[in-house]
Amino acid sequence: MFERTKNLNLSVIKQMELRASKYPDVISLAQGVPNFDTPECIKRRVELALKRGIVAKYSLSPGISELRELIEMKLAQDNMFYDWEKEILITAGSIEGITATILALTNPGDEVIIPQPTYTSYREVITLAGCTPVFVSLDEEKGWAFDLEKFKQAITPKTKAIFYCNPNNPTGTIYSEEQLRGLAKLAEEHDLYLISDEVYKDFLFEKEQKIFSLAEIPELRKRVIRLFSFSKSYAMTGWRVGYLHSDESVIKEILKVHDSLVTCAPVISQFGAMGALEMGDKDLIEMNEEYSQRRDLICKHLDELSHVFSYVRPESAYFVFPKILLDKIDYADDEHSGSLSWKFALNLLEKTQVAVVPGVAFGPNGENHIRMSFGRSEEDINKAFGRMKRFFG
Amino acid sequence: MKKIFKIILQYYLKFITKLVLLIHRPTVIAISGSVNKSFFRDEIKKVLAEQGKTVRANPKNFNTEIGLPLAILNIESGYNSYRRWLPVLASAAKAIFQKNFPTYLVLELGVAQRGDMRYLFSIVKPQVAIVTEITQRYIESFSGMDKLMGEYIYLAKNVKKGGKLILNWDNEKVRRLKKYAKVPVLYFGTDSKEVDGRIEEIKKEIDGIMVKFNYKDRQNEIKINRFGAHHAKAVVVGQIVKVENI
Repeated sequence: MFERTKNLNLSVIKQMELRASKYPDVISLAQGVPNFDTPECIKRRVELALKRGIVAKYSLSPGISELRELIEMKLAQDNMFYDWEKEILITAGSIEGITATILALTNPGDEVIIPQPTYTSYREVITLAGCTPVFVSLDEEKGWAFDLEKFKQAITPKTKAIFYCNPNNPTGTIYSEEQLRGLAKLAEEHDLYLISDEVYKDFLFEKEQKIFSLAEIPELRKRVIRLFSFSKSYAMTGWRVGYLHSDESVIKEILKVHDSLVTCAPVISQFGAMGALEMGDKDLIEMNEEYSQRRDLICKHLDELSHVFSYVRPESAYFVFPKILLDKIDYADDEHSGSLSWKFALNLLEKTQVAVVPGVAFGPNGENHIRMSFGRSEEDINKAFGRMKRFFG
Repeated sequence: MKKIFKIILQYYLKFITKLVLLIHRPTVIAISGSVNKSFFRDEIKKVLAEQGKTVRANPKNFNTEIGLPLAILNIESGYNSYRRWLPVLASAAKAIFQKNFPTYLVLELGVAQRGDMRYLFSIVKPQVAIVTEITQRYIESFSGMDKLMGEYIYLAKNVKKGGKLILNWDNEKVRRLKKYAKVPVLYFGTDSKEVDGRIEEIKKEIDGIMVKFNYKDRQNEIKINRFGAHHAKAVVVGQIVKVENI
């Protein structure tokens, strides 16, 4: 019974949220959700579609043509050239795109390499597909950068793909072009796919900053599957809409899985995505400015708790991943007795009603860390740190 | 209130735009169809600019009753904010006295509801009209395909005298528009010898496509860093615009 699901776990983030919900005065820095509402221009686009009565039926399985055209144009602005008719697929958020991609590319028993710490759900999707996630540690000393030698060592004849998140959740790291090209060289040598989850690509805090993508390299177009979601950039987590793109030879296979999973992405959300691409630029800039200020604020608070945490300053996304400097946490919990980060998070929740995510959720290398989100308002961040400062002294 | 404001705005912009077009008399190339308008617009704009002509094209989907005048006048939208519309209205009036108005306008015409094409033609009447594809997109707003076709038939009948209608042979609905045209028709596409700008091969390469095509018995090859048959067709239409010296 339940052979396929027995090795799956409910996301640690959700587990923390469930525990946190029992405390009425809790401030949650756990869930990676923007505190903004979806921009008005997106809502208006959807209202218009609703009034015209054009949202009730399925769209084509790959998505509404107009949206895919817009995405082709948007990608071209970023030096990525893909055919909207055959190479761009609208998904029900990025996680559906990830699931369809993994199911299409792999066979049970294959291995997928994941640099870690990284987004918790990758592991579950890979396991669900009957494959084995192989973790490769990022180097905290070098700002959570890739260590290519470790990737080389992790590759076996069963390896099918390398799956990374850029900018990375939970570390906020942007991988450099040089690091990514090194990874691409390895993938070419060993005939591997590269799955690039770029849902935080719009979170740019510095002027002239640009995130390089391997999808920009024409020679890699049959090897790279790039994913994006509207959830984070446009405060649309509840809408469940994203997209992926690759060469048509790959997309036609992913499309078969996508069709069997969801038929098509929610049509009403596809109209929202159109509004985002047509009119959302200004909101994107404004939200980025806000996130940039919150990043500075949370780093300032962490500096004031330097006896409790050390951290690498995040370059993107809305997470910081501080290391716990305390050797021992006085907290009894049988279930998580071996994990400092679990004990720290549970203790913090119980004593201060501040929810964070234990770092071990993001892979073994995340142990002894916690993830804090600055997707929350400045007021919440200040309140949460006020409580922590009183608690840690 | 919102509805009344929109109507006033629509007619105000229309009046100013017509005045501007009367004063500056640019050559207008219109692109219509269910999909791919923007790619054709960009290609034609590029070809004209390479010939040293001054061109203005509508940005991102500014192709409806409000968007089109804004694109012609080269002013921003106030979107849903009354406050933001006030400076827009002032800019619209100033646009009448714009210096260096371009000699070419390359405009997408969007059709989402019955009567849209007639309204857009009441603002601007193109010398050249191109129809990319006609599909069932937006059919929900019409009572059937015939009614949707009616929009494109209106376009075919109303291109300016002395102008040209450029049609996609490969789409049967688009192809049929010829019988309504009152100006010479040129076809682009892949399927038939009747096609004027005929694509003979689209060769996919690592970094783009090589488009081999024939126009007026001359073989041509153009390499672009894009993928997809729609780009090949846009390239051919761009070359028609160039060769015909539109």
